[in-house]
Amino acid sequence: MRRNTIVLGVVVLVLATFAWAGWANFEVRQQARARLLASAPQGVLVAGPVGGEPEYASPLQGKPAPAFTLEDLSGKKHSLAEFKGKAVLLNFWATWCAPCKIETPWLIELRNQYAAQGFEVLGISADDLDRGDAQKLSEEKRQIARFVQHEQIPYPVLIDADSISQPYGGLDSLPTSFYVNRNGVVVAAQMGLTSKEEIEANIKKALGK
Amino acid sequence: MPEMKSLVRMTVVAAITLASTLAHGQRPLIDGLDRPAAKPAAVVFLYPEQIAIPADKPTTVTLHFRVAPGLHINSHMPTADELIPTTFTIPEDSGVQLISAIYPRGVEFALPLDPTTKLSVYTGEFSLQARIKATPGNHLVEARLHYQACDNNVCMPPKTIPVVIDVTGK
Repeated sequence: MRRNTIVLGVVVLVLATFAWAGWANFEVRQQARARLLASAPQGVLVAGPVGGEPEYASPLQGKPAPAFTLEDLSGKKHSLAEFKGKAVLLNFWATWCAPCKIETPWLIELRNQYAAQGFEVLGISADDLDRGDAQKLSEEKRQIARFVQHEQIPYPVLIDADSISQPYGGLDSLPTSFYVNRNGVVVAAQMGLTSKEEIEANIKKALGK
Repeated sequence: MPEMKSLVRMTVVAAITLASTLAHGQRPLIDGLDRPAAKPAAVVFLYPEQIAIPADKPTTVTLHFRVAPGLHINSHMPTADELIPTTFTIPEDSGVQLISAIYPRGVEFALPLDPTTKLSVYTGEFSLQARIKATPGNHLVEARLHYQACDNNVCMPPKTIPVVIDVTGK
């Protein structure tokens, strides 16, 4: 009788421990999830104009573009702050992204057309960089350089988009572009290949037209 | 005896109470609404999940995959160097050696806005043949498929998915 009581007591204690462990685990996961969701601005697709395609709505719209400093292919550092006073198109792309290659000639044309009005494009490559392997890193940079040369890109091309992807929404899809006005505020965002006309309309928005 | 019955009753009530607390604490396992919605995978491994092959003898197995509708992935031999090929690998310490992989030929594809640039891609269901050799015994192999997916307007970063196969060398 006494032994039964002890055994039952142990069983109840073990069950109580499991219950507590489960609850504690749930709380920790909820907190981690909340931290993750709070830290990553995720863009969403919202209903577009009637009969039109869904549009990309970035939570950065209307907010200051997150600051960053990245290197170009020669190793020189560039920060977003350098371009304060200009309207800037931050274009995230990669050499393996076929839609990115389609829009690049449009970006070059529009950049040349609006440069005199204080507009610049910053091409930010999301190509992987194997910083732990010098030979591989060199080949990866050469691949980016080959594309820049082939397309005759006249605007600054920066590398290592991954290092700034989190404040810019994670960059789950390419191409992704953010249009920043002269005061450093994001006035439009675009995910995926659209049209040259839409890009131009966003550039005008950034220029304040 | 009445004391015993009372004790059993109390234990049952306590166990039920604790079990419901346990279930509540494990809520994330049964209530997927609390989790951030997972993006559907661009490529999934279909089958086989279990295979039995002669031990220490090279054997060819066919592995089946599916690309999500509306997406394409580069074939193993894409049309340009900078495009990311689809590749299948098995970790070296798994007890199963990948001798070679035979990939299907890609389908010619062009983006609507660039019809002159031809890509070599996989879409829908595709299979590849892996020639493998297993040591005797059971091996839970976490092989990998590396790919890069796009639709007509966007590309997703390169991704590696686990291809879990229970391999028995008999």
